[in-house]
Order: sequence, then C-alpha cells, then structure tokens
Amino acid sequence: MSNKAKYKTAPLKCWKKAKELRLKYYDDYAKAHERGGLRWAGGAWTFSAIPSGLGEDVVSLTSEPYGASIAYNKEFSLRCLEATEKKGYARDLCSYMRNYWGSILLDEYVFGGPFPKPDFLWQDHICCSHAKWYQVVSDLEGGIPHFCIDVAVGPYEEVAPHKVDYLVAQMHDGIEWLEKTTGRKYNDELLIEAVKNEFRSTSKWAEICALNKNIPAPLEEKTMYSLYVLGTLNKHDKSTADFYDELRDEVQERVAEGIAAIPNERCRLMSDTQPPWGFLSIFRYMEQFGALSVGSLYTFGLVGIWEDKPDGTWGPRTTPMDQGIEIKDRDQALRLYADWMLSKPEWQHFYSPHIKTEMMIRIAKEWHLDGVMLHYNRGCEGLSVGIAENRLGLIEAGYPVMAFEGNMGDEREFDEARVKDRFDAFMETLDMKK
Amino acid sequence: MASQVGLDQETFETFRNWRIKRAEYAKQWKERTGGKIIGYFCTYVPEELLYAAGILPVRILGSHEVQDVTEPHIFAMFCPFCRDCLAQGLKGRFDYLDGITIAQSCLHIRQSYTSWEKHVPVDFSYYLPMPHHVQSKHAVPFLIKELELFKAKLEQWLGRKIEDKAIEEAVEIYNRNRQLMWRVFELRQGESPPLTGEEAMEVVLSSQMVDKREHNAALEKLLGRLAERTTDRPTGTRLMILGSEDDDIEFIRMVESCGATFVIDDHCTGTRYFWNNVEPNSNQLAGIAERYVKRVPCPSKDWPERTRVPHVLELARKYDVQGAIVMQQKFCDPHEIDTPALTKALNDAGIKTLFLEFDVTVPIGQFKVRVEAFLEMLQEDDLF
Amino acid sequence: MITAGIDIGAKTIKVVLAEDGKVLGKSRVLAGIDTAAATQTALDEALANAGLTKEKVDRFMATGTGRKDCAITDREITEVGAAAKGAVHIHKACRSVVDVGAEEGRMVRCNERGKVIDFAYNEKCAAGAGTFAEGMARALQVTVEELGSLALQSKEAVQMNAQCAVFAESEVVTLIHNKTPREAIARAVLDATASRIISMVRKVGFEKDFVLIGGVALNPGFVKAMKRGLESDVYVPEDPEYIGALGAALAAAE
Repeated sequence: MSNKAKYKTAPLKCWKKAKELRLKYYDDYAKAHERGGLRWAGGAWTFSAIPSGLGEDVVSLTSEPYGASIAYNKEFSLRCLEATEKKGYARDLCSYMRNYWGSILLDEYVFGGPFPKPDFLWQDHICCSHAKWYQVVSDLEGGIPHFCIDVAVGPYEEVAPHKVDYLVAQMHDGIEWLEKTTGRKYNDELLIEAVKNEFRSTSKWAEICALNKNIPAPLEEKTMYSLYVLGTLNKHDKSTADFYDELRDEVQERVAEGIAAIPNERCRLMSDTQPPWGFLSIFRYMEQFGALSVGSLYTFGLVGIWEDKPDGTWGPRTTPMDQGIEIKDRDQALRLYADWMLSKPEWQHFYSPHIKTEMMIRIAKEWHLDGVMLHYNRGCEGLSVGIAENRLGLIEAGYPVMAFEGNMGDEREFDEARVKDRFDAFMETLDMKK
Repeated sequence: MASQVGLDQETFETFRNWRIKRAEYAKQWKERTGGKIIGYFCTYVPEELLYAAGILPVRILGSHEVQDVTEPHIFAMFCPFCRDCLAQGLKGRFDYLDGITIAQSCLHIRQSYTSWEKHVPVDFSYYLPMPHHVQSKHAVPFLIKELELFKAKLEQWLGRKIEDKAIEEAVEIYNRNRQLMWRVFELRQGESPPLTGEEAMEVVLSSQMVDKREHNAALEKLLGRLAERTTDRPTGTRLMILGSEDDDIEFIRMVESCGATFVIDDHCTGTRYFWNNVEPNSNQLAGIAERYVKRVPCPSKDWPERTRVPHVLELARKYDVQGAIVMQQKFCDPHEIDTPALTKALNDAGIKTLFLEFDVTVPIGQFKVRVEAFLEMLQEDDLF
Repeated sequence: MITAGIDIGAKTIKVVLAEDGKVLGKSRVLAGIDTAAATQTALDEALANAGLTKEKVDRFMATGTGRKDCAITDREITEVGAAAKGAVHIHKACRSVVDVGAEEGRMVRCNERGKVIDFAYNEKCAAGAGTFAEGMARALQVTVEELGSLALQSKEAVQMNAQCAVFAESEVVTLIHNKTPREAIARAVLDATASRIISMVRKVGFEKDFVLIGGVALNPGFVKAMKRGLESDVYVPEDPEYIGALGAALAAAE
C-alpha cells in the first residue's frame, strides 16, 4: 500500500472556538470572585451539574484537565512536581494531582496570576484515590469544605435500583451540604437545565466519535483531545452542548465530502489511556507512516455516553429528552443523572479488565482498526488498571498491539526517542514504511 | 532465632505452623469436613457469610519469593503485594480453592482477583462492590442489599439456603475470635509484654488461614499460657508499625533483634482485621454490613475525614508507643496519600517515625542500618 | 552484493560486513561521546578486518538505539527487526530471540523468514540488565566474565529482588555484610537479572527455538540462569553481540 496522499484534507473550522471556550473557562474561574460568584474544584468526572443549582455565577476548576494543562508547560510542570515531592508526596502518585498540588504550593496559576483558591470541593470517587486527592488540596489550602460521592457500585450491566438509590441519596445529601456550606438557596430549575445540558453534550460527543468509523476518518485523536476537553471542563454547560452540536454538523459535513484528518490514511489505530501531554508530537510522527489514531476508549468514553443501537453497533445514548421524558423535579433529575453517569464506558473497566477488553475489541471492529497502541501510563493507576490483561485480550482477538511506557503528566517518565523507536518497530511488523 | 532469646518457642508453634503450612492445613480441613474453601483478597470480605455457608475463607497472601510469572498480567507500577498474590495462583499454590472473592478496596489487589479469575479458573468467583463512602449514612443500606445479592449467589452455587441461624452462629464465632484477639493484644499494653510483635503477627496471620473455631480454641489456650509466661527478654523501645498489607515476619524479627518490641500495629494483617465486632442486630446481614462499614478503614475508604489519624494516635497512647515505623508496599497510593498527614500527626504528638518502602523481598541489611539509627535516636531522646 | 550492518547500541557500536549471508569482517568499538567518530572507527576497523575498502560496499544499513544518528547511512531497521533477521539466519529454527544489552532487554517472536510477529521491551522498573550485572561484579570485585564463572560454582540459591535494580543492589550489600559466599551472591545477581528478562519473555510468550543474543549472552552464569528459569534449552550463537549488526547487513541486501 503506498504512502501517498489520496484524500483531501482541511483544517477544522470549529477549532478556534474550542480553544476560546477552553481559555474562557479558566479565565472565568480566576475571575469568579471579582464577579461575586463562587468557585469550586473537583474531578472531571464529578456530577458537575449539581453545583449549578447554586446559581449561574458558580464556576469550577476540574483538576485532571488542569493538571494536563500544566504538563503541557514542561518548565512549569517540573517546578510543580518538585514542589509536591518536597512536601513529602510520593513520586508515583497521580501526576495530574502532583502538578495541581504543586501549582497550589507555588501559588501560581498556569494561566497567569496567583492560584485561585476554591470555596468548596465537589468530587466523586471510583479509583482508590479520587476522594483523597482533595484531602490533600484541603490540607494545602488550610482547610476547604469537601463533599464526595461514591459511584463504585459495580458495572452498568449489573445496575439495580439500590445502586442508583445509593448515588441519589448521596446527591441529596450533597445538595443539602452545598446549601449549608455556601449559605445559598438551591434552585432546582437550574439543576434540571444543567442536567439536560449534560445529557445533550455527552450524547453528542459520542455521536461525533461514532462518525470516525468512516474511512477516511474525519478526525484524528490529537485534534480530538482539543475538542473533548470541553466535556471534561464544563459538560453540564450550555456552551459545551451547543458547541458539540456545531461540531457534529461540521464533522458530518467532512464525512459527506470525504475530507480526511490525514491525506495518507492507510493504517488505523487506537490508543489507550491519557496521552503523555507534553509529547503530543508523537501523533504527528505517526502520520509519516500514514498511521493515525482514530480515538480510544479514553477519548470516546470518558466524556461520551453510549448505548447499543438496534443494528448492534455502538452509538450515542438516547437522551431522556429524546425519549420524551419530562424532568419535573429534583429527585427525578438526580435519578436520571445517576443512571446516565453509571453507563459511562470509562467507568466500567474499574471492575474488570475483561469488560474493557470487550469494549476495545468492539471499537477495533467497528472503527476498522489495524492495531492498538497501549500507553502503560505510570501517571494514572485508574486508567492503567488491568492494561496488561487488555493487551493479552486484544492479541488473542487478533489485533497487533504496541505497548509503550510513559506518563501523562510527568515528562521525566517519558522517553520520546524510545517511544518513537517502539513505534518504528511496530510499523515494521505491520509492513508500513515511511 | 536470636530475637527470641528468653522466650519459649512452643507457645506460638501452633500459629506458626498454621501460617507456614497453610496449604497442608486447608487440604486436611477439606478432607476432614467435606466443605468448600474460598480464597479472599481483602479483609473487607464479610467472612461470616462464607463461614455460615460451611465454607472456609482463607486469605490469599504472597510468598515473599522472587517470581517471573506476573508481568504478562499486571503492569509493574502496581504494588508488589498484588503481583506476589497473583503469582501464587499462577503457580498453582492454591490449587485447593473452590472459589475466590474480593470486596472492593484498592485497584492494585483487584487486579490479582481479575487476572486469577481468568487464568486460574475456579468454580466460583464474586466481586463484592463494597462501598467506599463508609462515612455516609447510606453505605450500610447499600451494603445490606449487596450482601443479599452475595448470599443469593452463594446459595445458588451451593444449592442450599444459608439459614439465619447459621449466620448468627458464624457471627458469634467470629466475634469470639475478635474478643480473644483483643485480650491477647491488650497484654501488649503492659510494661513487659509477654509476646513479641513477631508472635502477634503469627497469631493474626494464622487467623486468616484457619477455621475460626480451632483458632479460638488455640487462642484460649494461649491466653492461659501467656498469663504465666515469664520472660527475661528486655522489651527495649516500644514501637508501633503501621501502613499497608504487611506479613513480612522477617522484617519484624530483625527489628525486634535490635533492642525493640512492636507493641501495636495498624495493618489489615493486624489490628484492622479484628478491631470491630458485629453488633447484635435482628437482621443478621444488617449487623454484618454495619460492622464492615464502620470498621477501622483502609485508607482507600477513609474520606472525607481521615479517621485513621485519631485512631492511630489513640493506639499509640494506649500502648505507650515511643516510635513508629510507617511502612508501605511500593506504589500503594492510598497509603502514600495519607503518609504525610499521618506522619505529621504522629510527630506532632511527639512520636518519631521511620518510613520504609517494602517490596516482595526487603533489603534486610540496609533496613537494619536505618532501624538501628532510628532506635539510637529514640534512646537518646530518652536520656535527655 | 557486499553490505554493511551498523549497530549503534547504548554502549558499543558493532559493524558486520557480509556477502550472500557470509560474514566478511566485523568490529566492535565503545560508543563514547562522539558517536559519529566512533561509528567511522568501527566501520574502518571492520573494513580492515575484511581486507576491503569502503567503495566495495554496495549498501549500508543502520540499527540499534542510536541508528538515527548514523552519519554513514540514513537507511535503517529497528533493533527488533535486525535481531530477528540475524538470529534466524544463524539458527534456522529460531522463533524467539532475546536480546540483552547494557541498558535494555528485548524479546522478539518471529517467523521462519525472520519477520517480527510480536515484541516487547523490558518495563522501566526492570531496566538496565547489563549495567546492573556490571555494577554488581564491581561490588564483588570481579569482572563480569568472572561473575559468570563464579555463579556456576554456587550450589546455593539465594533470593534477591528481581523487580528493581536499585532494591536488588542494596540486597547485594546486605549479602556481602552477612558473609554470604561470593559464588552464591554472583548466582543471585544473575538469577535476578535473568528473572527480569524472563518476565518480559513470558509477556510475549515464547516458541522454540530460543536464541539469546546481545553482550550479556556471553555470560555463562546468565545463560544457565535463563535455561533454569525458562525450563528450556537456549541457543547462544558464537558472536551473540554481533547478531543485530548481522541482521542489518542482511536487511541491506534485500
């Protein structure tokens, strides 16, 4: 197969807007107090729609994307990591958090100015450290009220009323706690709005990812990172839901016109776990071979909410609104929200790598993949859990696998030259030449 | 065993033999009773339920031997303990198990379970989604429902009901074991504890491997003997050890040969295992659920408050601890996150700490140098 | 056709000159800091060894971790590809190759034509097999070669941390202080090194025949530890450290 350009390609029109939305998010957080609003911090997976009931001036800082933003700035990241280590925290802890904690310790916000202290912490817990991250944040900031919801009730295929009840009961407690902590009255209408936005944005993101089943793929993963990030910042916000509508239209258009992400596509791969954020250039290196990553369970399933479609394929989950369900009160909103989140693909593998392998094989089939690159990510236990079993399972299913070690947020643990070397060898086994 | 000078050996022989010959014991038990054996990976597994079903629950622990069989299954950034455990399965050392089970705790040990499930087939396997938010009032009702599901699965497998009466009896036997353990451990509060940390560890570890009825009988005998046990072994510096899973007898022995005695611990292979009782409850499962939710937590479940901090300080006070060894399995995140806060609390309370990172095998000589320096520092504190 | 394979490794540079699968000449020099100069020296020495001039060489091919810095040619093959080609050429029944050098261990499974089917590198925690053995030899005040023969004399198997070289190193210190016989320590060091490599081998899964290449294959104690651990015969070619360069020379002729 030749490595010549055979598809037309064009830059993404939405790109600039995604960038603007992201910067606005970080700016809004920094300026919230000036505007009389409230700031909270928590994970990208948390039930972010819930604090929205406190008012439209309540904004968040999600820690993982913030840690990734720091990782992208290698000089600052190194200072952050060292500050955290000096304080006695182990080097093998989550590297997003080590960046984030370092930024607090140095009192420097990566987007400029001093670090903006949150008013409260709002988190969920599925890996064995999620809630504990914020114990540290609270320690470092001299005490911040902290609420966390346990979502580890088992895989969605075994969902049962008592599991949803457990989440919903904690959410109700959480709302009471929010009122007490902030002294504000909670507004259920704002909650319902935010929950609906989140259903819309997370379903839409899945729809966008599904369009990448097309050959040639309209998007490649490095670009997707800049788009999916909005779903890790503000998935419950109208701006994100609206943006994904616009993006879906554009990607659909690209498919209709045969516009490819790379002109020489001939080897379709997927990655796994967060990429080494300081070294996204490896994705460009791959393109020299005509290889691209069309996504991953990570980019598809961390933000996107999916379901089995009648034809047996994987597609965006139908929102309660599209099912004609009218959301009338707090309890109903929370119940639907809990069920929705429990079906998040990226939450399933916590219980068993075999569930994840099945999902990966499904992606490999439906997205027409030639191979898989597994990032053995030393920066994240949560997504690397069971990764060696995934490797075995994929090989057993007949997919060539390249494994490489690295770290999403600690550049000291990523050896760019060696990873490129591994990639060369992988391409050699697939008979791909530059 | 140089460290045991001044102590008779036979008092703890039963326990030591049970630990060392765990496979032999299990096989004989099976032959003797015709019952089934289930291996469990974490002390959050409600053993009472298994015991009530006539099953012998045994904890799966590692062997502290170098191995080369787990790299295909578990990425090396996870703790050495979880790899050591899986290696035992892959090498067929637990070939007498009829089933395996785990209660949800950390991600590390979970992988031993999920890989074992796939590559070392057993008749029965069950993942119990033990809640993490144990400080929430909703954790108990949730766990009751999960225990009902677990019980139903066990009944289906065994082909018979697990009667309330049987659960009640199992709870009684387990509570009895806990009370007896308490009494043994209380003896360590005395000025001259009649047992060493090594011996205490033997007692707890063996309790995770054998039928609690037999263990209870042995404990009662032990209590009788300990009351009369006279020892000319000097206690030396009174130490506490705390941290992640730890069954490294060799390390404990080394430290206690340097002029120190471990008088208390906070380990899931120690006090955390038996500290809390099942309180009487007309609903047996509710009583059990309550016990496991409210027990001294593993750090992975200790949030938003760090309740282990006051607990550890209280232990240190009660047992008159002069110094603490904070150990941790390499890469154990839940403990790593707690260590700075816990160390600070201990230091603020005037208890100095020595931090050590454990692997499957520990560099005993190097650790000895550090331990000696630590003890020297504590003894100097005593002088001035 | 005369071809040259140039293997630029972490510590040494190896050159093999070949014609129709036959080795005409070879050389090995320390890589040092100036890779370009060392590569030139290695090539000159190999040419001298073969009694050839550079003009007689039709094609060049670089391999090894430093192949991208090769000043002589920009044609390259990965060390994984070169190892498979070289090993199958030397030993036709070879289906698994383990390459253990100073810094890295690699496991390659290949077909009868020397094409790579799957491969793995040692994980970061278990890196530095060759360097580790050297350092430990220094601690025991013997050469690496002596370490191997010492190990063969030991009847005792002492446990040592197999995962982490840093942990293992401190265990060696303990063993020395405990007056453990040098033979037993030497064996423990090589057993631990082999155990780390075998972990990686198991990851890819091995098929017979099994060929061991790279500088560490010259150590008989290590080879024995590998045989013991794998419970399998292990074939060691005559010049195990040159197999990568040979593979590159063969690939150049294709």
